[in-house]
Amino acid sequence: MLKEIHMPKLSPKSDDYFFGEWIKKPGESVKQGDVLFEVETDKVISQVESEEDGILKEQKVATGDTTKVGDLVATIEVSDH
Amino acid sequence: MIYIPVTSTDVYHNFALEYYLMSEKRFREPVFLLWSTTPTVMLGKYQDATTELNLANVKRYGVHVARRYSGGGTIYTDQGGCQFTLIYPDEHTEIDFSVGLRLIKTALNQIGIQAANDSRNDLVVAGRKVSGSAQYVTPGYKLHHGSLLFDSNLATMAAVLKVDPVKLKAKRIASVHQRTINLKEQQPNWSAQEFKDYLRQAVVSLQQAETYQLTPADEARILGISSQRFANPDFIYGKRSRLAHTGKRYFQGGGLARISYSLDNQRLTAVHLSGDFFSNLDTGRFEQALVGTKYDRSAVLKIIDAQLAITPIMGISANQLTGLIFD
Repeated sequence: MLKEIHMPKLSPKSDDYFFGEWIKKPGESVKQGDVLFEVETDKVISQVESEEDGILKEQKVATGDTTKVGDLVATIEVSDH
Repeated sequence: MIYIPVTSTDVYHNFALEYYLMSEKRFREPVFLLWSTTPTVMLGKYQDATTELNLANVKRYGVHVARRYSGGGTIYTDQGGCQFTLIYPDEHTEIDFSVGLRLIKTALNQIGIQAANDSRNDLVVAGRKVSGSAQYVTPGYKLHHGSLLFDSNLATMAAVLKVDPVKLKAKRIASVHQRTINLKEQQPNWSAQEFKDYLRQAVVSLQQAETYQLTPADEARILGISSQRFANPDFIYGKRSRLAHTGKRYFQGGGLARISYSLDNQRLTAVHLSGDFFSNLDTGRFEQALVGTKYDRSAVLKIIDAQLAITPIMGISANQLTGLIFD
């Protein structure tokens, strides 16, 4: 089953975040708690963790993109079990 | 709280110390550091050195260039000022500067400096900035660090940092110099070292902090991290740099195209073309053809037109690509 990963809300002040970089590559396995990507807002670099176990399928954003809270950033293939 | 004395004025060592404490040592209580550097400019994690710095003056004045793991803008520091670092376990991912700012503000107030917060998470005295902060948040830990200007060389600061003239005009601020103030104006009889000592004593006593001395094993690991990461020119100047401007558009029948670029002295200094358009275009050659071109619509259009004449992009014209840089 494909799960969508959306940009979480990190800042009380802003919903526009600068997308930093991917830590995981498409095809790599990810576990809950693994850092997926870094994002910058309000002078803070935040590492964002996966909440799923699975395989990172597709990255929907790239370094330098402006992303909004709730934007689709990636898909993860998770086991149906 | 744990206080760790820092005697090194090497910025790469001290960034490595922060990284080591946060990612490897991982104390279960907050750690406080107060440190200084030789003249240094510190870039934010995703900033571009050529966009932010006057590199000729950086070289002329012998200023070190370093890149932080935290966000935010470029700052200048020297031994006339100091850096504070607070590293603490925190499971919350929401951004919060209040813990660190409250600590430093209270300590400053206690030594007679009337600092206040502003809306950008800076500390100000009489409306002028004396301290800026940034953070790096990893699962389970927050690093909050900031700089304090006491008797820093503001002329060198103005010479090595570039300021966007459009931004300054919009904010009606004449120069970097005018926005910042040295705390020595508040305490003219103190040296920078005395200021640092008083601030350290205030924080240690407010928090009843215990001192931890770095061991030879700690120092060996810190030196390794310093040379692998923070002193590595690829990290400082390299691929991670953020291009200053990005134009992006979806073209019906052509797809998404994105051009990121940096400017210096009204010329393109770096260009990156990406997207999901259909073409056999050699993007590296396209980008190189544009680097050095005057930031002028007709000059850029001429180059892009010539590049697309060699290899077109389906459904996207040279005029449309040029628009990503100028519109």
